[in-house]
Amino acid sequence: MVRGFGWAAAFPDEVWEHVFSFLAADADRNAVALVCRAWHRIERRSRRRVFVGNCYAVAPAAAVRRFPEVRAAAIKGKPHFADFNLVPTDWGGGAEAWVEAMAEGWPHLEELRLKRMVVSDDCLELIARSFKNFGVLSLVSCDGFSTAGLAAIAANCRSSPVHTSVGLEVAILVSVASEGVNELSLVYLLLSSADIPYLRNLRELDLHENEVEDNCLNWISHFPESFTSLVSLNIACLEGDVNTSVLECLISRCPNLKTLRLNHAMPLEKLVSLLQRAPQLVDVGTSKFSADHHPELFSKLESTFAGFKHLKSLSGIWEAGPTYLPAIYSVCESLTSLNLCYATIQSPELLKFVSRCKNLQRLWVMDLIEDNGLIAVAASCKLLQELRVFPSDPYGVAPPISLTEHGLVAISAGCLMLHSVLYFCRQMTNAALLTIANNRPNLTCFRLCIIEPHTPDYISQEPLDAGFSAIVESCKDLRRLSLSGLLTDRVFKSIGASANRLEMLSVAFAGDSDAGLHYILSGCKNLRKLEIRDCPFGDKALLDNASKLETMRSLWMSSCSVTLGACRQLALKMPRLNVEVIDERRGRPLESWPDDFPVEKLYIYRTVAGPRSDTPPCVWTV
Amino acid sequence: MSFFLRYAIRLLGNSTKTQLFLPTALLSERLVEESTEMVFGGGAAGDYPSGSMAMLEAAVAEEEEDMVGKDYVGISEVSSSSYPGSAGVGGGMEEEEEEELELRLSLGTKKAVGGGGTQWAEYCRILTAEDLPSMGSRASPLSSSSSVSSSSSPAADRERCSGREAKKTSNNPPSQMVVGWPPIRAYRMNSLVNQSKENTSTHATIRSTHKKASQNIKNNRTGERICRKEIEKKGRSSVNSLFVKVNLDGDPIGRKVDLNSHPSYETLALALEAMFLRQTSVLGSSIYDGPRTSKLLDGSSGFIITYEDRDGDWMLVGDVPWGMFLSTVKRLRIMKTSEASGLAPRFHSWPNIGRS
Repeated sequence: MVRGFGWAAAFPDEVWEHVFSFLAADADRNAVALVCRAWHRIERRSRRRVFVGNCYAVAPAAAVRRFPEVRAAAIKGKPHFADFNLVPTDWGGGAEAWVEAMAEGWPHLEELRLKRMVVSDDCLELIARSFKNFGVLSLVSCDGFSTAGLAAIAANCRSSPVHTSVGLEVAILVSVASEGVNELSLVYLLLSSADIPYLRNLRELDLHENEVEDNCLNWISHFPESFTSLVSLNIACLEGDVNTSVLECLISRCPNLKTLRLNHAMPLEKLVSLLQRAPQLVDVGTSKFSADHHPELFSKLESTFAGFKHLKSLSGIWEAGPTYLPAIYSVCESLTSLNLCYATIQSPELLKFVSRCKNLQRLWVMDLIEDNGLIAVAASCKLLQELRVFPSDPYGVAPPISLTEHGLVAISAGCLMLHSVLYFCRQMTNAALLTIANNRPNLTCFRLCIIEPHTPDYISQEPLDAGFSAIVESCKDLRRLSLSGLLTDRVFKSIGASANRLEMLSVAFAGDSDAGLHYILSGCKNLRKLEIRDCPFGDKALLDNASKLETMRSLWMSSCSVTLGACRQLALKMPRLNVEVIDERRGRPLESWPDDFPVEKLYIYRTVAGPRSDTPPCVWTV
Repeated sequence: MSFFLRYAIRLLGNSTKTQLFLPTALLSERLVEESTEMVFGGGAAGDYPSGSMAMLEAAVAEEEEDMVGKDYVGISEVSSSSYPGSAGVGGGMEEEEEEELELRLSLGTKKAVGGGGTQWAEYCRILTAEDLPSMGSRASPLSSSSSVSSSSSPAADRERCSGREAKKTSNNPPSQMVVGWPPIRAYRMNSLVNQSKENTSTHATIRSTHKKASQNIKNNRTGERICRKEIEKKGRSSVNSLFVKVNLDGDPIGRKVDLNSHPSYETLALALEAMFLRQTSVLGSSIYDGPRTSKLLDGSSGFIITYEDRDGDWMLVGDVPWGMFLSTVKRLRIMKTSEASGLAPRFHSWPNIGRS
C-alpha cells in the first residue's frame, strides 16, 4: 500500500508526463506542479510552452532553469498603454536579456513570440544563430530593429541540412546578385560557414504592427534558394518597397504557404502577379488597393481572386477605392475574417462588400461603414463573433460620420454569436447599453470608446453608469472591459460586485473619488490587469487594497491623484511588488522628493525578480 | 469705431494668448471677414464666400484643431459667432450670443453658464486634466440651449448658431489636447497618416485639408501637443508632407518629423526638443508662455542639430535659408556638442533665422 504521496511513484515518470501533456492551460500545469515534489519535477521537465505576461516578473535565467525543455515561448514587455504613447520610449522591455538566456538554456526552442518589447538587430541575429529548429518568429508591436536584422533571420534559413561550404556559395551568390548587399549580412554569411547551427524550417515570420527601420532594401533576397518551408509571412508593417520578383520566387518555391500579408507599398499590378503564384493561400493581406482603372487589371484581379479556393481571411486593402473592390466579390462567401480597418471605403461600397460575406466571424472595419452598414451586417453576417469599429477621423476634424449607438445595438440584436466588441463612437445612451446587455449576455470582451471624454448619455444627460452596470451584470463571462463616457463611482460599485470573471479593465476619465478604485480592487476576483488614466483615484484605495495587487499582473495609473508617500508605503508593505514611478520631467532624484509629491505615472507589477536593473532616468523603483 | 476694432483685431490676432470676444452687434460683414482673415492668417480664409456658413464652419473646425489649449477656444468662437447672418441683429441677440459664447468658452473653466463678460479673465488659462471633468456638466446647458426654438429669424439664427456650436463642441477638442486619447495605437495613427498622404482624389478638398492638418499633428509620437503650437503659425500649407528621420545620439529609437509642418528652424527645434529632450506628456506641465527660444538652438542643452544633405554630408542646421534646407535635407541627427567639432557654431544667428 502506498501512503501519503507515494502513489506518485506508482507509475514511471513517462506516464505522468504523458498524462500532463493533455493539460494545455498554464493554470492547470501550475496547479499540478504544486501537488508533490515528484509531480513538480516531472511537470517542469515536460513543460513545452511558457507564457510570460510581464517580462520583468521573473528573471530570464530563472525561467529557463525551471523549465529546461521549453519549445515555445511568448513574452510581453511594455504595459498596454505604451500603445498610446503614455509610456516613455526608453522605459524598458528590452528583449536582450531574455534572448540571451534562451539562447543559453533553450537551444531547441522552436517558437518565439514577443509583444511590445524592444528588439534590437543584435537580438535578431542571436535568434537566427542560436536555435537549430527554429520555426516561428512573431513580433507584435515591437520596435528597435531594422530590416538588416530581418536579413539576418532570412539569411539563416535553410530547409534541409546543406553542406556548409555549398550552402555558403549559394547564399553568397544569392545576396551578391541582389542589390544593396548589407555588410552585416555578408559578415553573417561568412560566420555561418563555421559550425554554427542555422535556422532550419522557419515556418512563420509574423511582423505585426512593428516600427521597423528600413535600412536594408533587399532583405527578402537573403532567403536562400533552398528555403522552401515558409508557411506564413506577414510583412504588413514594413514601410519600404519589397523586391517583387524576389518575393515571387520565394512564394513560388514555398508550396506550403498559407498566409501572406504584404505591405502597402506594393502597387496593385505587382500584387496581382504575386498572388497568382499562390492560389492555395488561406490568409491574404493585400497591399495598396487602388490604381487607375484598367479593365485588364480588373479582370486579372478578378481571376486571381476567383482562383483562391481556400481563402478565409482577408486584410490590408489599404487606400481602397471603389474601382477594384467588386473584383474580389468572389471570395466574400468563404471569408471568415475580414480586416478593413485601413480601408477608407465609403459606406455604400463597403455595405455591398460586407453584406456578401455571409460566413464572416470576425470583422474589423472603419466607422465609415456607418449605422446603415452595421444594420446590413447584422442582417447578413449571422455568424459574426468579433466586431471592431475604428474611427476614421479621431480628432473630429471632418464632418461627422453617421455612426452612433444604433449600429452597435443592431449588431447585438442580429448577431447571436457576438462575443467581442471594440467600438469607437461619439455618442451613447444608457438605454442602448441596456439593450446590448440584454441581447448579448455572452459578451466576453466589451471595449467601448466614446471619443470625447466625459460624454454623458446624450438624451438624458445622465452618466453612463446604468448602461455599463447592465453590461457587467448581464454578461457573466465578461473578461475584458474598457469604459468611457461620463461615469461616477456607481459604475465601479457594480463592476466590483458583478464582474467576477473580469481579467482586464481599462478606465479613463471616470469616477469621482477613491471609492471607485476601492470598489474595483476589493471586488473583481479575477482581475489581472488594471489600467487607469486621468481619474481622481488616490492613495487610500491603493493602500487599503495593497494585497490585491499581488494577485494581479500589473496596475497602471497615470494622471491620477496618487502621492509619492503612498508609493513608498506600498513598496515597504509589499516587497514582491515593483512600484515604478515614472516622471519625465527629469528633475531631482526620487529620494529628495517629499511624500506629498504627486506621481505622474505609476506602474506596479508583481515580480519574483526584485527591482529591475535597466530602469532609465525617468523611472524610479520605489 | 470699426477702424479701431480692426486695428485691435490685427494686433490681437498676432498674439495667440488673446481671446477675442466681439459682440455681434458691433460687427459689420466686412469686419467679420477681415477679422477672420487676420485671425486665421493666410489668404484661404478670404476664399470662403461670406455667405457660406458651411465653409466658415469648416475653416473654424480646421483652425480649432490647429489652435492649442485655451487659444483656439477663444478665437474660434469669434468666427463662428460672427457669421454674416447675425450681423446687425439687435441687442437682445447680442446678449444671447455672449451667453452662448460663454457656454462654449467655458470648455476651459468650471464656471456655470451665464457668468457674464467679467469672467473672461478666467478663460485665459491653461487647460489641465482637472478642467476636463467639467465637460460633462457643460454638455447639458449646450443641448438645452440648442433645443430652444422659435419662429422668429433672430432666434432661428440663434438656434442654428447654438446647434452648430453644440455640434462643433461635441466634435472638438479636449480629446485633441490629451495625449494618448482617443486610445488608438500609434502605429495605426501613423499608417492613417501615410495613407491619407498618398490619397489623392477620393475626398472633398475640405476633408483632405482637414486630414492634412491632422496628419501633421498625428505624426509625432510624443510631441503631439507641442507640435500644434508650431502649426498654428503656418496657416495653410501645401498638401505634401516631408517626413525625415531624426535620431538622437544615444537613443536607439529614431523618430520621424514632418518638416513641411514647420515654417522655420525655431519651430522645428522646439518640436525636436519636445520629442527628445523633454518628453513630458502631462497636460499642462509644459507651459506655453509666448515664443520661446529653443534650447537646442541656443546651445544651452548640450546638443546640436545636424542634418545629412543630398550629397551625404553632415551639416549644421541653420546655415541655409529654410526653403533651401527643405530641399536638400535627407535626415536629421541630434548630436552632443562635444562631438560636433568642425561644424562652426552659429548659435547667435539662429534667432534671426527663426524670425524670418
